Amino acid sequence: MLRIIRTKALSSVPCLKGRCVRYYVGTQTPLELNPAAQDERYADLNNMYTEMFAGDDVKSSVARNKDKEGLSEIDQLNAEISETYDFMAKPISGQELEQIVKSPGRFILKSLSNNPYYNLALEDYVFLNTPAPRESPFSSERLLFYVNDKCVVIGKNQNPWRELFLDECSKKGYKFVRRKSGGGAVVHDLGNVNYSYLTSRDLFRREYFNKQIVRWLTQTFPGVNVSLSPRGDINLVNQKVSGSAFKVAKGKSYHHGTMLINADITSFSGLLKPECLEGIEWSGGSIESVRSRVANLSQMGVENTDEFVDLCSEGFKSLMNENMPVYWAEESCTTNAEILKTIRHLQSDEWLYDSGPNFTVSFLGRTINVEKGIIKDSTNSEGVGSHFRDYVSLLKKNKHFKTGIEI
Amino acid sequence: MIRTCAQSALRASSRFSAISPRLFLRAQSSNALTKTQLPFTFSKAGPSLVKYTSQHEWIAAHQDGTAFVGITRYAADALGDATYIELPEVDSELEAGDSLGSVESVKSASEVYQPLAGTVLEGNESLNDTPQLINEDPMGEGWIAKVRLNDLADMNGEELMSLEQYEESLKEDH
Repeated sequence: MLRIIRTKALSSVPCLKGRCVRYYVGTQTPLELNPAAQDERYADLNNMYTEMFAGDDVKSSVARNKDKEGLSEIDQLNAEISETYDFMAKPISGQELEQIVKSPGRFILKSLSNNPYYNLALEDYVFLNTPAPRESPFSSERLLFYVNDKCVVIGKNQNPWRELFLDECSKKGYKFVRRKSGGGAVVHDLGNVNYSYLTSRDLFRREYFNKQIVRWLTQTFPGVNVSLSPRGDINLVNQKVSGSAFKVAKGKSYHHGTMLINADITSFSGLLKPECLEGIEWSGGSIESVRSRVANLSQMGVENTDEFVDLCSEGFKSLMNENMPVYWAEESCTTNAEILKTIRHLQSDEWLYDSGPNFTVSFLGRTINVEKGIIKDSTNSEGVGSHFRDYVSLLKKNKHFKTGIEI
Repeated sequence: MIRTCAQSALRASSRFSAISPRLFLRAQSSNALTKTQLPFTFSKAGPSLVKYTSQHEWIAAHQDGTAFVGITRYAADALGDATYIELPEVDSELEAGDSLGSVESVKSASEVYQPLAGTVLEGNESLNDTPQLINEDPMGEGWIAKVRLNDLADMNGEELMSLEQYEESLKEDH
């Protein structure tokens, strides 16, 4: 019964006048109800919500939360559970975020935002500010979850022109993101959930966390063929459902991975470039993606991203043998100066286009040498001194440049 | 002398893989500077001091204030096969703890920090074409940056460890 009410509850949490309001599962979320999907048994209850949020008087609805009289039994039960397990669904304030991150101790943090730049900046903030004193054993493992809107994400040391059909990505509404960890290009959408396991540098083992995920999945869905791939990714039968990347810095490490649950995989085609394209040749030290066939985990019965997050959260608590707190981070409440700075950095052309390895590209009789995003040398000195990005967009505006070369 | 032999044998091993396992293990576990490579041979007398950080960098300083920085054998082994090394920009002035570059290996990006304040004179360009030097000889041919230290006396700072202290710290951790 409770579950029915919880399922839709994650998408929006009201944030009033900059202050975070406490989040109750049953009553405070404005739901858009699909009449066909309504269960008659809850019709009264649901209509009550609609009425409650149809009015402009938000204050009264908040006030009503405090007043348990007049709520249905289910809501009372929910309220009691919320109080008992107070940590379960509480968007934290910016101050609280800073406090929990900088203090030692384990926790689980779930982002309520679908903004990939915020989510990566939040992850980076937690990573850099988690204490890792060398004198004492590390006991501040953290597990983050976030779901990003449509985006294509490349590794720190990749060349976006080599890996992505950038025009196609923007045409289809996939944002372009460069992350701070290594590895290859991946596509995210709302049907994909990202997990991020943080531990110390000394405890860093590449396959450790994915082994746990495979174990938790196998325990929950016996007989299903999930396994670690030779590259440490997670396969369902022989198709990839999860890809991983890692970061090591300042005595700490994180392993973050994608998990395709019910992603729109057919829309992914045409976003990532194949290994070779005719008429164009790249050289340089950038990391090349390993192309794999992908599949959704929904095939094996994991219905949505929340179900996967719950499964991992429970597994993580028992793995650490600790009933650790679970926090919710809402973007506008938690974007502090440091996170904002990282968001701006992640969105900057300098990071997205100019920060990758130097490269040389040849096409249509030209050879162009690019260092830190700027053309250093080229056939007939074409474009020398300008950003490769600007050069490419100029080329594409030129009507004579209709050659079928994909750059 | 023995160590030198072992290490050149190790480098040979990665190319020819003909070496006794015992010798290989011994060479692999060494976090001492390779005596046949530039970080050691830069000055006739060899480096005046070689120190280690808790973040697994080494720094070898010569009498004239020039120093070489790289990652330790322990770190290189832990990270696995390097596929790309991000080198520092020449002339950048770095404080101790500033990012000097990074090593990408098997999908992980690992930051490398500047152990002491100084100015970058050169990045090891041979790592651009041959990042695997980081695995073959991290304590020698796989050096990452050549820097001019602001003050050679910083090498005696308490933050840095001797080889013995570093090896000891590895035992404590594991």
